[in-house]
Amino acid sequence: MGTEESFCPSEEEIEKWMSSAFDMARQALQNGEVPVGCLLVYNHEVVGKGRNEVNETKNATRHAEMVALDQLQDWCRHSNLDVRCVCERTALYVTVEPCIMCAAALRLFKLPVVVFGCRNDRFGGCGSVLDVASADLPLTGNTFKCVSGHRAEEAVEMLKTFYRQENPNAPKPKTRKE
Amino acid sequence: MEPQRKRWKGSECGSDSWTVYPVLSDEQSKDLELVEAFAAPVLNKKETSRLLRELSSLYPMSGLQHIKRVRAVKGSPHPLEVLLCLVRDAPHMEVLSIDSLLPSGVKHDALGEPFRVKIPARPPLTRPQFEQAGKHWPTSFHEDKQVTVALRGELFTASQKASMHTHMMSALTAAKAGSELGMDAVGAVVVGSSTEKVIAVGHDCRGDHPLHHAVMVCIDLVARSQAGGSYYFDQYPACTFTPPASDTFQSIPSSLPYICTGYDLYVTREPCIMCAMALVHSRIGRVFYGTASADGALGSKYKIHTQKDLNHHFEVYRGVLGEQCEDLTSKEEVYRKVDY
Ligand SMILES: [Zn+2]
Ligand SMILES: [Zn+2]
Repeated sequence: MGTEESFCPSEEEIEKWMSSAFDMARQALQNGEVPVGCLLVYNHEVVGKGRNEVNETKNATRHAEMVALDQLQDWCRHSNLDVRCVCERTALYVTVEPCIMCAAALRLFKLPVVVFGCRNDRFGGCGSVLDVASADLPLTGNTFKCVSGHRAEEAVEMLKTFYRQENPNAPKPKTRKE
Repeated sequence: MEPQRKRWKGSECGSDSWTVYPVLSDEQSKDLELVEAFAAPVLNKKETSRLLRELSSLYPMSGLQHIKRVRAVKGSPHPLEVLLCLVRDAPHMEVLSIDSLLPSGVKHDALGEPFRVKIPARPPLTRPQFEQAGKHWPTSFHEDKQVTVALRGELFTASQKASMHTHMMSALTAAKAGSELGMDAVGAVVVGSSTEKVIAVGHDCRGDHPLHHAVMVCIDLVARSQAGGSYYFDQYPACTFTPPASDTFQSIPSSLPYICTGYDLYVTREPCIMCAMALVHSRIGRVFYGTASADGALGSKYKIHTQKDLNHHFEVYRGVLGEQCEDLTSKEEVYRKVDY
């Protein structure tokens, strides 16, 4: 665990990669897609970059994080590197807190750290609905560290705009009666 | 110690060899919680309704509407006892006495010496909870008949159990096929709950991909069956899907991503948290599993199917071919111990 504990991106890295993640999210929003940006970064290089592919695959588990994890595996294969060794020093940057499923997937890949923007009140697996990130689940990979709140309001705004556009395939957000 | 080998009973073992139980929410399955109250015998039965009226305006016991204020006591000189108030609502007293519990306005010479009792803090949701509650103080009970029958393991008819048996046998067969290829011995089957038609059969493939648990494989095979999907499991003969008949295919809106709506899942082992949440996202109808898992998320570590904040809930049953499913898992543990 020693090296994993000490692995954490610097402030500048967070600033830089989250800014790319937000660019991705904004692009998605302009294309009428779920505005979530998601990057896996290893050794200053993007090794996975995902967008939500639920609709085209008819598979409700194809969240941006799951797609990015597949890309990471492909990248490792092409670079002839061991997935486990790469994951140990890879960070996920994502504009919205990963859901319960994706948080568990990140544990199974043994990623040490996740940087995210806003909370995910409907499905969040890093504390909002459940805290899968730090739960005691010995058969489900490793716990990971969360760095949260980076440009959170901006991420929320994008989600709100998206749901206002009324994607017929997207579940309606919980509308709080005000 | 030589582990006792259970005889592999296989398909000749009938569907009466196992019992299926519902996996209920924590509220439904937890033990009774009690709260302390003061009660007193009614000395003059004729005063009962007046006492009740005055007591309930004085001490409304809010949140305890399930509690009957009066109970009958057999074999006592005073056959009725009435709840005065909760201990936490009572005024502070040096000595327990009716005078200090009730203000002078209330005429209480019809009441005997007050005493402490423990009463059920929450309304009973299941018959076992109701029976347990009644040992302390009588409560009302709005029985969910289906839950009562399910808890007795009698919810399903013999023919329903026979088809559950068949589907779990397919899941077991798939699990064994996967395990022969070095995968975890877990198999799963997706079935249309009204049509009984098998949509997909899959097994664990995590040797290739750490997330390809049997449930995730099945979810993608269901997507494949509807011209979607992200992976090819064609190299695994035991991972299969059945495309819907061309006439029914038209009736499935092509944009609908929640493809497991109206489907049942049979899986040999309780799904992990990732798979359980994947089933929420896929809007699965019901889940049947054979045996529990230490990290399981449909009963053991979590009960994702009853999780309050989530937007989809579903029924979960355990114990279908429980022994055979358990055998798979324990056999695997033996292998693992040899491996390391
Ligand atoms: Zn997710
Ligand atoms: Zn799983």
